[in-house]
Amino acid sequence: MKHRALLPLLLSACCMYSTTAMAKEVQLFNDKGFWSGPLQTVANAARADGINLKISPYANAEQYKTFIQASVASGRTPELFTWWTGASLNTLAATGQLAPLGALWQEMEADGRFQPGVKELFSVNGQPYAVPLQLSRWVVLYDKRVFARLGLKPPASWAELQTVAARIKAAGQTPFLATTQDGWRGFIWFQELLLRTDPKAYTGLNNGSVAYDSPAVRNVFRIWSDMYAKGWFSDPRSNEEINDFVRGKGVMYLFGEWAVGLLDKAGFPLKELGVFILPNAPGVQQPAIIVEGAPIVASRKGLANPEVMKTLRFWVSNQGAQTWGKASGNYIGNDKIAAPNALISQVNTQLAQKRHTLFLRLWESVPSTLQGEMVAEFNRFMLKPDMSTAQHVMQRMQSLNAAYWSKRKKP
Amino acid sequence: MQNLSPQELAWIATARPPTPSPLRWGKTLCGLALALLWLLPFSYVLLAIFKSSAEYAASAPLSLPASAAPLLDNIRMAWEQAGMAQAMLNSTLYAGIGAALAVLLAAMAAYPLARMRFPLRNLWFLLLFAGTVFPFQMYLIPLFFGFQWAELLDTHLGMCLLYTAICIPFPVLVLRNYMQNLSLEIDQAARLDGASELILFWRIILPNLRGPMSAVFLLQFTWIWNDMLFSSVLGNSPETRSIMNALLVFQGSYAQSGPNIMLTAAVLASLPTLLLFVLLRRQFMQGLRVS
Amino acid sequence: MNPLMQHDQQLLARIGLAHIKARERARQRRQLRVALRFMAPALLLVGGLLLLPVLYNIWLSFTQWQLFEGRDDFAGWQNYIQLSDNPYFDEALGNTALWVVASVLFPLSLGLGMALLFRRMPGQEWFKSIIFLPRILAPTAAGVMWYYVYAPQGMLNQMLGVFTNMPVETGWLFEEQLVTPAIILAFVWQSCGLVMVLLLLGLAALPRDPLEAARMDGAGPWPLFRHITLPLLAPTLLMVVILSVLAGFTVFDLLWVMGANYPQQRTLSLAVFMYFEAFQKNSWAFAAATAVVIGGVVLAVTWLQTLLQARADRMVR
Repeated sequence: MKHRALLPLLLSACCMYSTTAMAKEVQLFNDKGFWSGPLQTVANAARADGINLKISPYANAEQYKTFIQASVASGRTPELFTWWTGASLNTLAATGQLAPLGALWQEMEADGRFQPGVKELFSVNGQPYAVPLQLSRWVVLYDKRVFARLGLKPPASWAELQTVAARIKAAGQTPFLATTQDGWRGFIWFQELLLRTDPKAYTGLNNGSVAYDSPAVRNVFRIWSDMYAKGWFSDPRSNEEINDFVRGKGVMYLFGEWAVGLLDKAGFPLKELGVFILPNAPGVQQPAIIVEGAPIVASRKGLANPEVMKTLRFWVSNQGAQTWGKASGNYIGNDKIAAPNALISQVNTQLAQKRHTLFLRLWESVPSTLQGEMVAEFNRFMLKPDMSTAQHVMQRMQSLNAAYWSKRKKP
Repeated sequence: MQNLSPQELAWIATARPPTPSPLRWGKTLCGLALALLWLLPFSYVLLAIFKSSAEYAASAPLSLPASAAPLLDNIRMAWEQAGMAQAMLNSTLYAGIGAALAVLLAAMAAYPLARMRFPLRNLWFLLLFAGTVFPFQMYLIPLFFGFQWAELLDTHLGMCLLYTAICIPFPVLVLRNYMQNLSLEIDQAARLDGASELILFWRIILPNLRGPMSAVFLLQFTWIWNDMLFSSVLGNSPETRSIMNALLVFQGSYAQSGPNIMLTAAVLASLPTLLLFVLLRRQFMQGLRVS
Repeated sequence: MNPLMQHDQQLLARIGLAHIKARERARQRRQLRVALRFMAPALLLVGGLLLLPVLYNIWLSFTQWQLFEGRDDFAGWQNYIQLSDNPYFDEALGNTALWVVASVLFPLSLGLGMALLFRRMPGQEWFKSIIFLPRILAPTAAGVMWYYVYAPQGMLNQMLGVFTNMPVETGWLFEEQLVTPAIILAFVWQSCGLVMVLLLLGLAALPRDPLEAARMDGAGPWPLFRHITLPLLAPTLLMVVILSVLAGFTVFDLLWVMGANYPQQRTLSLAVFMYFEAFQKNSWAFAAATAVVIGGVVLAVTWLQTLLQARADRMVR
């Protein structure tokens, strides 16, 4: 009898499963569930232009990656979806399934909406394959109140950075906030220190020409463990990085600009938040900054679909970028409109004053099959930041790196 | 004293005269110490779920909460942030349908295996039983791509099908053993009356199997309820997540909520099976005995 | 009897026998049809969703399938050779071995001790329920609980702080030497109850005669246990050992939840390693090979169990 009662339940389960597609709808597949609200706001705004955009978020990055891979392998690549820049984009473009977007970028740059150089982040071998979902520069956010109390100014040189950190430590606070939360953050300080001390090695590291146990890398680990020894970093085991900053567990926070929105939500007063670009070490002249670009890509089939191209054009338009910026606090590189918040416009001004070379994050630059292992090794160092751990970490990373490049051509 | 179970009566009846008291006291103390040790993590959890986030951060883990009031707030936050309403519904659906269907289909399959003679009977049985010998790791990749291909990924139907399949082999084994022990005479009589095999199975055999069937149903229900692995691979969207997977995702992405909220979520997710166990302890134990 | 008649009778018997055999075969075919109708749904589900995937997984482990590349290129034993070169696989294998040993040793000795302790104790139902209670929790929920017990500002460090009279902030789930033992402790807490209950069931089913006879002969409690109870309990013990080996070998949920912050999580066990390779690195073929290795060991253990069980049963009889 029990089973008879269950039958309607099963039937209703089957109904939940079947869905019907609407005509002329364009689906944006993504793994950014946390931005579903803001993305929907953009979709609503697009409706006025006769665009029927549906936001289709996937549960997590791993499952999403797998979904896209399986679709590409079976020739059913989605028409419009988000992806990652750098090595991941290279691999995806190599399948030949992505639509080249050169014509669209010409429009985007012609009227001065996008600065030259942004395109590069979304290109493979000079051919653009994506438009920006967001563009974050990696900068140091700091608590203005602490700086004011101690009479400190944002450091303009490597030596000033040391002084600022030492003064904050002497005042009984922790200068830098850095954790291993969520397992991916380990590369943040490594990439920055390497870029500031030896930008050539940073590029070389990611194309296989510089080893992970080379002197440049060893030097970074020495500086890094030295900073740990001085007590300049917060407890790496914390799982509440954003809240920790609000609570003052670290005064300076090296992160992507997208953290500003999260800090705002966590209750940090934005007018007390300052920003500076980490200065170069002595001997390094060229100003540089790490950027993170999240791309939206289209398939070749999507290129032929006028609805898809209409959607992309709306996304990079002033109206589209403005709606997205207001809803999510994200910047996509469109400079014709006001920046989503004061901190982003401050960074824009600084970058406009002096030409900076843009470098992709390590996460995007490292071969995608090594991402997880490399980041885990950096985390391992952060939890036990001495040189003997560093030695072992460098060895392990180099053996993985060597195994990867032994099967491929270095440039 | 009136509530003694037959088991307890039996133990009392066979009990030896009391051993000399120091040894007995020692044993009781030992038992008490073990029980306390086992309850210690629970006590920590029970204290934590009555604390507000600020209180938890400020106080020592084993200190007493100031009042019981924050519990409701914790429950509300855990319930909303972890998407527990949907996840509870999903898990009820999976565990209810999966376990019920699996036990029913297993009983159907066990019937001929126990009570009919046909060629290669043992081979058919081994084929079904083979479903229990492989580790789950061997199913994950093929199922993921199979579900993707069949468009069953992240659907309730797919999850129900999978849980049903996984829960079939064990009840087949148990129910086959039970059916073999039922007397064959009832079959003969019914067949002489011209009853079809289906009627025989439905009217005569099934009613005799209520005990073992409910016992294995309970075991399989609990297993599906507690599963996280398959949901995290095959049904990870917020709409299809199982309760334990929702708990895992909650811990991963909302660790910021604080331990008190996380622990409240863990308790909420475990309550249904804990209640089942407390209410139906005898059936659970019977389930263990039959296995 | 006249030979002709004898021959006739034999002929008749043979015809009859052939006839009976034919009828029996027809009956069996009919029975098979009916039986298949009863078994069809179960066979379809088990075959389609469990057995077919296993075969597919084995095939995959011999291909080169990775990232966007196709799955058709045959790779021979390449994935298995790669396994032996991978530094993380070695560590995962070592930790898995540790898990197998620990998950037999501790739950079995503790569970047996508790079974003997609680067996004739007043209020034993309460004790048994308390020890069994953690078993009802999902490993995921138990993992979340223990995760906070072990947290740097968690319960364990606070208690240690009280005993040592200074602040303790050990990262139990962050340090290489501590993480596996710490998770094993949570596992033991969860699994002792089941082991104890199974052993109690085994103890309750023991024949009383040999025990009584030995006791009449004046055997002390230890020789009684060592020479009578233990051998009689051998089949139950064997079953519990095998269950524990398999549980320790395939442990995943606890490690996944409690090891979430451990940088080298992939080395915590083979099951975790396989999950990382498949669903984080998308090295499908390589992960499939890992799964085959896990499956091979599990099958070997199961096969060993059937062998030993048969011998143990014979011994008892």
